[in-house]
Amino acid sequence: MKWKKVLRLISVDIKSGRLIRGQRLRRYRESRVLQYVMYGGSCLLGIALGLLVGTLYNGITDPEMKVSLLLSAKSLFISTPTLVFTYSLILTMMRQIQSAGIKASIQPPYWLPITWGEHTLAAILANLIGIQLAVLISIVSAISVVSIFLGEIPLAALTVFALLAIAFLASATTEIFRVLQVRLTGAVYKTSGKAAIWVRFFGSILLFIAFYAVYFFFTSGTNFLAIIEALASGQKTVWFIPYLWLGMTLFYFMNGQIVETVVFSLGSVAFLSALFAVAVKLNSRFGLYEPPAIRISIGAYAPRPSMWGRLGFSLSEAAIMRKDFNAFTRRRELMYFFVLPIVITIMYLIPLTGTPYFQALSIFSALILLVPGALMALMLGSMIVGQEGAPVWHLYSSPVTAESLVKCKYAFVVIFSCAVTLACSTVGILIIRPSLRTIFAALIESIFLIVSLSAVSLRAGIKGASFVEIPRPRMIRPMESIINFIICFILAGVVLAPLIPYAGTMMGLLQPLPQFYLYIALAISGAIAAILTYGFYKIAVKNAEDFLTEAEI
Amino acid sequence: MITGSESAVKLMGVAKQYADVVAVDYVDLDVKKGEIFGLLGPNGSGKSTLLKMILGLVKPDSGSVNVLGIKAEGNPVAIKAQAGYVPEVPRLYEFLTGIEYLDFTADLYGVSPLEKKERINEYLEALELEGREGDMISAYSLGMKQKTALISAFVHKPKLLLLDEPLSGLDPRSARIIKDLLRELTSKGVTTIMSTHILEIAQAMCDRIAIMYEGRLLAIGNMEELREKARLPGSNLEEIFLTLTGTSDIRDVVEALMK
Repeated sequence: MKWKKVLRLISVDIKSGRLIRGQRLRRYRESRVLQYVMYGGSCLLGIALGLLVGTLYNGITDPEMKVSLLLSAKSLFISTPTLVFTYSLILTMMRQIQSAGIKASIQPPYWLPITWGEHTLAAILANLIGIQLAVLISIVSAISVVSIFLGEIPLAALTVFALLAIAFLASATTEIFRVLQVRLTGAVYKTSGKAAIWVRFFGSILLFIAFYAVYFFFTSGTNFLAIIEALASGQKTVWFIPYLWLGMTLFYFMNGQIVETVVFSLGSVAFLSALFAVAVKLNSRFGLYEPPAIRISIGAYAPRPSMWGRLGFSLSEAAIMRKDFNAFTRRRELMYFFVLPIVITIMYLIPLTGTPYFQALSIFSALILLVPGALMALMLGSMIVGQEGAPVWHLYSSPVTAESLVKCKYAFVVIFSCAVTLACSTVGILIIRPSLRTIFAALIESIFLIVSLSAVSLRAGIKGASFVEIPRPRMIRPMESIINFIICFILAGVVLAPLIPYAGTMMGLLQPLPQFYLYIALAISGAIAAILTYGFYKIAVKNAEDFLTEAEI
Repeated sequence: MITGSESAVKLMGVAKQYADVVAVDYVDLDVKKGEIFGLLGPNGSGKSTLLKMILGLVKPDSGSVNVLGIKAEGNPVAIKAQAGYVPEVPRLYEFLTGIEYLDFTADLYGVSPLEKKERINEYLEALELEGREGDMISAYSLGMKQKTALISAFVHKPKLLLLDEPLSGLDPRSARIIKDLLRELTSKGVTTIMSTHILEIAQAMCDRIAIMYEGRLLAIGNMEELREKARLPGSNLEEIFLTLTGTSDIRDVVEALMK
């Protein structure tokens, strides 16, 4: 193992972060000060936190309280390795997901004189660089400073070693998962043929939802103290899990049990070495493995009549819609956009269900019917043209008219958004069971919002289309996206405005209105939506004319 | 083979500038119907921009472009419907399979289902893509992607082919098939304008060649006319090209590198 090579490889990985950040450097050298400012800041933050806690501890005069605080601090020390392991695992995996999403990725430089051991070590360490390392530095600095005030320097020193080791363990585990995932993906592609597309589709959605669930669990903060207490006291009962051995080493050290301390620390070193060896072995076997192609159709080519064609779309319009449908079920970055409105709505509403005011405020039930479709129309409309990416030259060079382009893209956004509304409404109605009137009004309004916001967003999506693909597809220029969001937000309010009095009665803020008011409000809302749709659709066609004549290639 | 004197593409005083860079500098060009016309020039000489202007993908700052009797300005759809285009780096929809991609492009040009089935199958067989057409394009090699892009340019039977480095990445057999196919198509009146860096191919295939340098047309004509222009009788295209573009200091460069 040559350490210089490992360091070189890590520095290459750090520089690959430029792709993720989308930086375009012209100079050969980067400012080292800027490069390390985040870690320096984290260190200072940790020291400041440690000084603050230490000073407060020294200021306490009640001896009982001091003992109680010392015990709590010790509990925190012995539970930190497991906590750091959890967050390091999540962050390193998120980083891997992020790297997998970018177009340009760093391949192992197999043609250079580098061993798999050096490559694996560099990959594991580089994966920790960034937020993970900054948080780790903060914790380590805070513990080091606090330990001086508490008089627990040996325990703190051991905790610091344990934290560094557990972060390495987490990153090594991520590296193993990464290699196995690539190999497993290949096996799925090879055996399942066309089904591989659906495996990938649902797999990505589940992964996305799982990460959100874990993220919300850890960021909600309500269970944090309970977790620490459970970890501090419960580690002993699950001693057979090697990932907890570092925490147990600290636990036995704190209780003065030297033999157990030595046994578990040696066990931890052995586990860490074994994990690294497995990572190296897997990398040497599958590090250069390329998943085989997904084979979707087998046998002779026989064009079938298009479903879209029967609905009145021309050959070229139907072709673009079919292609877009395939893009949304096959491109990972688009799958995330597809599930985002659903996930956000569900994550927002689920914690509210079961609370007493939720049943009373049936306005919440209307939200699950209204929001996902409208949000989908907003997002999809703004990126449906930009998602074409570099292959957009096909649209430029083929005889597609501006009218055709807007017609098929608009229809696609409306149909997809309606499908999302249907799916979310079914779930929402089953969970919340709103009144029939609420379902009726919310679904009609949802359609109005989808139809109008699709046109509004499509206008922005064409005008602000961005075909930049590196580091990842941008799809719409950020400023255009922000402006579009604000416009959509205001116009959604305008469309929904006639129903405000009705919503007021639902929330119990206003006196009940006559039955017919709802129908009048819906009719006014529909008229507003129709005017907005017509106006913005026309602007979208004009934008498409400019877009097709001023090709960005 | 030139089938007539009627112009397929006529450019008059065409110019294009990007910021400070002059991409095309007042070019006049007349490409006849049924001609294979070669565009040569060093990197950045304006060949690709010229091809894009012919297809209406880039609006010239000045001058006029007339393609197949249609004015390019304001009427690009009519030109696009009759042209087949392969860019220098054809970025395809990688999430589609080869067959889905070809089906998509054929539909963009309004080819009927029966016709597209027959033509696509013929091309797949000829270019040895049969058996891999059901795979996603993301798994294709560079050559396979190039073949797929070429088929998509041929499938709607265009009257004008605009090919930017058409043979790049192709294996010898496929390259030969494309060369012979282009010859066959010209005999049926199809006009081909191709840009290439492979001078042997240009010399062997093209009826006429234009040499571009820094956005300007340095020379235009058949091999004999180019030799006359360069005052290099009996020379090959490589010598003519290096002389005309003033880049014949090869020996000096190699000697400097060897030091």
